Amino acid sequence: MSAELRLPVEASAGFEARVMAAVRRAPAPLPERVWAWLGEPRALAVSPLGGLAAAAVLALLFAGGTWAALRTARAPVAAPAAAAQPAGGAGSVVTFVLVAPRARTVALAGDFDGWDRTRLPMRRGASGLWTLDVPLAPGRYQYAFVVDGRQFVADPSAPRAVGDDFGEPNSVVTVSGGAPRGAGGAL
Amino acid sequence: MSGDASDGELVRRVAAGDTEAFSGLVARHRARALRYAVAMLGDRADAEEALQDAFVRAYRGIGSCREPDRFGAWFLRILVNRCRTRAAARRRGAALFVRDDLAVERAAARPDGDPEWREEIQRALARLDALQREAFLLKHVEEREYEEMARLTGARIPALKMRVKRACDRLREMLREVDHDRTG
Amino acid sequence: MNGRIAAVAAAAVLLALPPALAAQVDRLAGRVDERTLAAVTALVDSARASGVPATPLVNKALEGASKGASGERIAAAVRALAGDLAGARVALGPGASEPELVAGAAALRAGAGPAYLARLRSTYPRESLVVPLAVTADLVARGVPADTATRTVLALMHEGVQDADLVAFRQSVERDIALGAPAGGTAAALAGAVITGEPVMPGNNIPPPRPRKP
Repeated sequence: MSAELRLPVEASAGFEARVMAAVRRAPAPLPERVWAWLGEPRALAVSPLGGLAAAAVLALLFAGGTWAALRTARAPVAAPAAAAQPAGGAGSVVTFVLVAPRARTVALAGDFDGWDRTRLPMRRGASGLWTLDVPLAPGRYQYAFVVDGRQFVADPSAPRAVGDDFGEPNSVVTVSGGAPRGAGGAL
Repeated sequence: MSGDASDGELVRRVAAGDTEAFSGLVARHRARALRYAVAMLGDRADAEEALQDAFVRAYRGIGSCREPDRFGAWFLRILVNRCRTRAAARRRGAALFVRDDLAVERAAARPDGDPEWREEIQRALARLDALQREAFLLKHVEEREYEEMARLTGARIPALKMRVKRACDRLREMLREVDHDRTG
Repeated sequence: MNGRIAAVAAAAVLLALPPALAAQVDRLAGRVDERTLAAVTALVDSARASGVPATPLVNKALEGASKGASGERIAAAVRALAGDLAGARVALGPGASEPELVAGAAALRAGAGPAYLARLRSTYPRESLVVPLAVTADLVARGVPADTATRTVLALMHEGVQDADLVAFRQSVERDIALGAPAGGTAAALAGAVITGEPVMPGNNIPPPRPRKP
C-alpha cells in the first residue's frame, strides 16, 4: 500500500507557471546579509541571561519565602499580553494572575490606576491563585503586584520593564488596538 | 541549466537575488510534495493551492533556510504546516475525499498502477484522524525518521509512534474489508 | 529651596498650568511632600514645552510614592522619563499618540536609538507603532541585544506581520530563552519561522550550532 502512495503525483498543467508567477509577485526575500546579521552573535557573545532566567524561576519555586510565583499551565491567561488581543480598537480585558498561597492580600498597582496599592485588590482562588480582570485602553502599562500591602512583586510570566527606577523591577503589559498594517517598504 | 544545479546551489542563488533559480527547486520538488498534500488533504485543488502557498512562503523566507543542501526537509516542514492550516480552514468538518480523475487516468496508463486500488487507499486515508494521517504519511510515504517528524510537527516521539501505529491498524482494517469485497 | 517657598512656587506653577495638566499633577497631592511636588510640577511644565504629555510623568512619580522612594529619587526618575519621552516625540513626530510616546520612550531606554524610531515612523506613517516599539523594548529587557531586536522587528514588519503575531513572537522568544537558548540567535531563528509560517514550538527553534571559525 505504501508503495502505491509513494508514487509521485503529477501536478496539473501550468502549475509550475502559476507558482513562479506568484513568486515573482511576492516581495523579494530578505537579503541574505540581513539573515546573517540576525544570526551573528554580537560582541556580547552568549547572553548569560537565558541560564539565569531559568535558574531564577527554579529558585523562586523552592524559595520558601512569603510567596512563590509560578508560570501557570494555562499560558494565555498567565501572560496578560496574550489575553489582550485587539477587539476593534477599543482595548481589551486583561487577566492578571499570581500564585501566592501564603499571601494574605494581593493587589494590582500600575500606570493604569496611579500605582494605588489598595484600589485593585485581587481575588483569591483555590490553592493560592490570585486573579483579577481589568479593562484597559490600548497602550503600554507598567505594573506590579503588591503582596500584603507592602511588598512589590513583578509578574514572572510577563515581560520586564527596562531598568528599574526605584529598586524593584516592574512588569509590562501592552494592549494593542491598531488597525491592520500593510507590509513595509525598503529595509 | 537549473537541471544540474544542486538544491544547495539553487537556494544560495535565490537568496542572492536570482528569482528564476527558484523554478528549479519547484520543478524538482513539486511531484513529491504534491503526493503528500493530496494524500493529506484528499482534494487535488486544495492540495495544489496549499503547495503553491508553501512554495511562495519558502521563497520569501529563503534566507532562513539554514542548511541549503537540505532544502527538501525544510520545505516539507512548511508544507506540513500549510496543509494543517488549510484543513483547519475548510468549512467541511470531517476529512474529505474527492475522486482524483487526473491521477486515476494517469495511473491507468502506467503498467504498475491500479487506479481503483489507489482510490480505495485514498478513501481509507480520508477516514483517518488528521494527525494520524499526517504521522502515517510522514513515516511511511515521506520516510522520515521520528526525530525529524518531531521537529516537523512539534509533537513528541511517543505520541507520533502511537499515531502511526493506530493509523496502520485502522488502514489495515479498512482495506481488508475492501479487499474482501474486491476479490470475494 | 525650603518647604514654604517650595509650596508657594508649586502653587504658582499649578495655577499657571492648563486645567488638564493641573488635574494630573493634583493626583500627587498628599502622596508626596511639598518639595517633591514642586520639583515634579516644574518638570511636567517644562516637558510640556517639548510636547511631552503629563500623565506618564505623574504615573512615574506616583509609582515612586507608592514604593516609598525618596523625593530626590522620584524627581530623578521623572526627569529621566521626561528626557526619553522628549526623544520619542522628536523621533516619532508631532502626530504620535501618548501610548506611542510611552512605548517609544521604553524602546529608547532599552537602547534602540532614535534612528530606529524615526525609521519605523517614516515606513509606517499612518499606523500605530505601540506594539512594535513595546515588543522591541521587551525583547531587549530579556537579553536580546538591541541591534538584533530592532532588526528582527523591522524584518517581521517588512513581511507584514501584525501586532498580535509580534506579541506571540516575543512570547516565543521569552519561552526559548527561559529554556536556555541564546537570546540573539533565538530571536533570529523564530523570526524566520514566523515568516515561513512554520509551527513555532517552545524549544523547537534553537538554531543549529554554527561551525567555529578557525
